[in-house]
Amino acid sequence: MALDADVAAEGGLAASELTLTLGTFALGPISLAVAPGRTLVVLGPSGSGKTVFLESLAGFRPLRGGRIVLGGRDITGTPTEQRQVGLMFQDYALFPHLTVHENVGFGLRIRHQQDAGRIDAMLRDLGLSHLGGRRPATLSGGERQRVALARALVVEPGLMLLDEPLSALDAPTREVVRDLLRSTLRALPIPSIYVTHDQDEAVALADDLAVFRNGRLVQLGPVDEVVDRPADTFVARFMGMELLVGATVRGERLLLPGGREIAPLSAAGWSGPCCACYRPEDVVLFPTKGLAGDLFDGPLERITPQGALTRLTVGGPVPFTALAFRRSVAGLALGTPVRALLPAGTIRVVAVAPD
Amino acid sequence: MYGAQARAVGMRYAPRQAFTVAMWLLGGLLVVFIILPMVRLAMATSVHGLAGAVRNPDVRASIQLSLQDALAAAAIATFCGVPLAWVLARKHFPGKGFVEGVVDLPLAVPHTVVGIALLFVFGRKGWVGAPAGHLGISFFGTQWGIIVGMMFVSAPFVVDTVRVAMEDVDPRLEQAARTLGASPWQTFRHVTLPLSTRGVLSGFVLAYARAISEFGAVVILAYFPLTAPVEVYDLYLQEGLDQSAAAAVLLLIVTLATFLVFRSLTAGGVGRWLSTRT
Repeated sequence: MALDADVAAEGGLAASELTLTLGTFALGPISLAVAPGRTLVVLGPSGSGKTVFLESLAGFRPLRGGRIVLGGRDITGTPTEQRQVGLMFQDYALFPHLTVHENVGFGLRIRHQQDAGRIDAMLRDLGLSHLGGRRPATLSGGERQRVALARALVVEPGLMLLDEPLSALDAPTREVVRDLLRSTLRALPIPSIYVTHDQDEAVALADDLAVFRNGRLVQLGPVDEVVDRPADTFVARFMGMELLVGATVRGERLLLPGGREIAPLSAAGWSGPCCACYRPEDVVLFPTKGLAGDLFDGPLERITPQGALTRLTVGGPVPFTALAFRRSVAGLALGTPVRALLPAGTIRVVAVAPD
Repeated sequence: MYGAQARAVGMRYAPRQAFTVAMWLLGGLLVVFIILPMVRLAMATSVHGLAGAVRNPDVRASIQLSLQDALAAAAIATFCGVPLAWVLARKHFPGKGFVEGVVDLPLAVPHTVVGIALLFVFGRKGWVGAPAGHLGISFFGTQWGIIVGMMFVSAPFVVDTVRVAMEDVDPRLEQAARTLGASPWQTFRHVTLPLSTRGVLSGFVLAYARAISEFGAVVILAYFPLTAPVEVYDLYLQEGLDQSAAAAVLLLIVTLATFLVFRSLTAGGVGRWLSTRT
């Protein structure tokens, strides 16, 4: 990422040393920058402060300290209505007493820039033209979220904020709206910040990823970097990794129960407490019948279907969790002896997250 | 076997039915308790008696006075009550519980006590009454006094009703409006108020109903000019129960009619129409 000041001057957003308190909860200090055209996804569990951070950028919550610069303009103390931020909410927040057309035109009317052509064009772009006269209560979740997007974009904001906009939608609709958001945000010449607790959603939409925990920024970087090199066990678990139970890191090697040693991908350079992690989807399972060897052998202890995938736990000296396509493990039953294989280079060593 | 099952099911349902019947009976008792005196009052007069009351200029004047002063009191209470309701619905501040208690105080204080308290403030030598007197405004024995008495007892109805309505408006709608460029006033005008229109109208109607029926506070602060409840009381003292009944029935008809008209307007098209005018 470019330097914060450069990013802000070029139409991006730069937040530096943001802090705020909310009762006993403390956020920050948070420093990050989002360049125009890029989407930063703020990822974290409930209560990590990601929505509060978004609200502070929108101007809903007074800061205790720090500075927000958007497009070269210091907006730290600017009232919300003058910040030029577009906001999409989880629960749509469409005005129930107005039609779709009136909802989309609300911002223009408030600014005395009533322009029916602009509203119609926005409705057309998002496939909403036929719904202009309808009230929000009569729309589906996907339609409501598209109206919310149109309403936010028609006033041409300088920053787009999205607060878990997909979480109220059913699975098929979520996928459609996610693709729409992905293409729309990519095409926007402004920075976007997208808040979610769903790592799949985060990876699908992010250019950059910021992981929050207990009001603090744990890791910030391009999405591939965060996925490949999680800063600690918290980020690793949140990004869907599993801890390699019983493994101990010795220098650049990994010591497994039973005396075997293997070389992990990134053991070098760790000085503090660390442990080994892997992605369950990297694990390959074989039925052991007729095969020799015993290092990762064990019985299937748990089988949890997850849609098209199935999560399988293999017992034994080194318990493993594997994520496999449902159809590929259809014949396996509980207790079946299997062998878990982790391809070379798939184990990562990460720092132990503080409690 | 099926018989035993049916009996078991029947035993499960029997207490439910008894519960429902008990609720109906107790609820019905309250309805009868309210309606019985009204029916008996209506029976105490005849069409001839009612016509006499309509012809009586004093009765007519008192009803007209009650109607206009109750409307004025409800309007002023709504004008100030809506902002207070917004503050209580949206803001957190030290002493909020105290303010909430103060708002509901008129509901708990006996209305004759209210009248005496108001007299100390709005009387000729009162904190407000004395300086207002220098400006030529008197509350004692005037329409202003009637409106003040009515407002005092009816204000809680506006504040409480509107507050509940505004608390029901999702604050995210207001936040959405702010991000779209609306100032706090524009957000209130175009989002909060239209979405709580029904609550505002209901509060106004309840305040009007409470104001027009007020006797205790008004009779002490402004016995004259006679409002309709005071006129009925005056007739009762001077001419007895039967003579006052006709005026009482007329007052009942007028207040009920106006109340029902207002209520149907707020529940129906007017509320809906107003809530879409942003």
